[in-house]
Amino acid sequence: MEQIDKIILGDNQFFGINHMSQEKAQELAEKFYNLQNIFAVYQIAFDAGIRAVMLNSNDRAKDICNHFRENKTKYAEVAWYPSVPYPHKYANLIAEKGILPTINEVLFKGNTTMEALNMIAKGGMAVLAKDAMKMMQMLVDAEMKMFKGLNIKVVFLQNIITDLMLGYDVKEVFFEYCEYIRKKYNAMPGLITLNMPYLKAKLEEWDIKGVVICTSFNKIGYLMSPDVDTYIQAANTNNPTDYTLMAMSTLASGAIPAKQAYEFINQQQVQSVVFGASSEKNIKETISLITI
Amino acid sequence: MGITHYSIINSHPNVHITSVADPSGAVMSVMSKYLPVRTYKDYNDLLKTEDIDAVLVCTPPNLHYPIIMGAAKKGLHVFVEKPFTSKLTEARELVSVYRKNGLVNQVGYVNRFNDVFGKVKELVSNNIIGKTIRFKSEMFSCTINKPDESTGWRSKRESGGGVVFEMASHAIDLVNYLVDKPDKVIGTSFSHIYSKNVEDAVSSTFLYKNGISGTIYVNWSDSSYRKPTNKIEIFGNGGRILADQYSIKIFLSSANELHNLRQGWNTLYITDIFKQVPFYVRGNEFTRQLYHFIDCIQGIVKTNICNFADGANTLEVIDSIFSDYEQNGKI
Repeated sequence: MEQIDKIILGDNQFFGINHMSQEKAQELAEKFYNLQNIFAVYQIAFDAGIRAVMLNSNDRAKDICNHFRENKTKYAEVAWYPSVPYPHKYANLIAEKGILPTINEVLFKGNTTMEALNMIAKGGMAVLAKDAMKMMQMLVDAEMKMFKGLNIKVVFLQNIITDLMLGYDVKEVFFEYCEYIRKKYNAMPGLITLNMPYLKAKLEEWDIKGVVICTSFNKIGYLMSPDVDTYIQAANTNNPTDYTLMAMSTLASGAIPAKQAYEFINQQQVQSVVFGASSEKNIKETISLITI
Repeated sequence: MGITHYSIINSHPNVHITSVADPSGAVMSVMSKYLPVRTYKDYNDLLKTEDIDAVLVCTPPNLHYPIIMGAAKKGLHVFVEKPFTSKLTEARELVSVYRKNGLVNQVGYVNRFNDVFGKVKELVSNNIIGKTIRFKSEMFSCTINKPDESTGWRSKRESGGGVVFEMASHAIDLVNYLVDKPDKVIGTSFSHIYSKNVEDAVSSTFLYKNGISGTIYVNWSDSSYRKPTNKIEIFGNGGRILADQYSIKIFLSSANELHNLRQGWNTLYITDIFKQVPFYVRGNEFTRQLYHFIDCIQGIVKTNICNFADGANTLEVIDSIFSDYEQNGKI
């Protein structure tokens, strides 16, 4: 299995996402309203040696991608780890309209790609609904459009979708997703989950290998189902050539001081860490503390 | 059908899903292609054909009553999504039917299973802030953020649409759970922000015979909120509690050693108080409420945390809000 970067800069800090405090989230959203402030943080991270960026396909990510595409030669070494979709866009639409009208709107409203036009010519949603895998592929494409032309290493499925589908216990969805990411994007398939031990066991049962599993991993067990011990055991018995484990939420939204958090992570069998920080001090400190 | 309900309940080791009913042919054809379940377009056919113990009802609220009556005839345990029913009379009838048949009955007011609000309940029940005097229950989201173009059930109040039925019901239930059901509702006002036929924001004042009073304010068209947010503030004669889904701030006039709380301000974060669930999809509370339903069926837990009577109580308050608005809320 291809190696991925050991340390990856995440994006929650830029988009007003904080799982512990809404005030903190709001403060960050204000600070990063100006895209230049986001680019400045990326520059600090690159200067500190980071060469990998995880980015969710939300509305603001479009502008970030444009910037890096326009300056591609300057950032040629940077690897991108997109995650799709931006769940809240879908949550509101689905709540209002229902699932199929939502997919219809996302795929066909204002979409002038050949594939979308062909699909409309064939009967649009009425036909597409009969082919759920094709629908999944088109949804991935719709979300991935903004990343076109960037150096993509892994395409992650957001945990809300991964874990929802994991509950449905359907092999095809996972198998087809992984195959599609490999073939269409020449990238590694990634799955973000808050149920790592269960997901890993299912992937083994389905014989789906070569997947990057990104999961919350912290010593207090925050956003880790069913519990820390099961996580540690699953990681210890993992063969990294089958599944690359990437830790996220390592500080548990700030509940654990960085030093303690990474002392714990460094003892775990994880191959990579994605972290969110926005100050030079925190970025440098995090890099120095991670010794996986 | 309930998209997340299926995923969560399917993860329970003691549950076997036999069948799903949904009028959408497209949804049912996808389901039957990939899942080991029988599918029905009409719930009546499902109830007639399937040999089952329990049913999860996740339809628009105006269908809840006939479905649950059908389930009661078959002797089924029922979990139904909020707001229980669209008419109070129907809710009361279902309470009485299920009180008689002794089967497990639950309404999906999920905040009761949230880590933070569960902790607030514990603190208030233990009189940490003394006797409750006033409260404020608020909820915000950007669910409806465009002018109304839909003709779906959400745009009609008769089918349970509008912010009062759909969202304020959560804020009201939280008041019922943490304080009590109010004796009187006054000062109701509605705002239309994007919707033509239903209200997008509501505020009301709740009064209690024992002197407690409080307000609710719910707005589902506030784009400053990235995701739905509940906030509750309770003021007592010994302190104050402010909570949202992420943290609890507690001010105490004097320290409470038993609960390890000092005089003045204390903050408990979600990371201090969460309890893990076996399988996570949307939030611990969503798993916990459905697993609680199964625990009640299996007799592991004796008392349901949010039964039909609780659902009817919330509807009673909703009824009072609408009648207060009709009588006093218009100029």
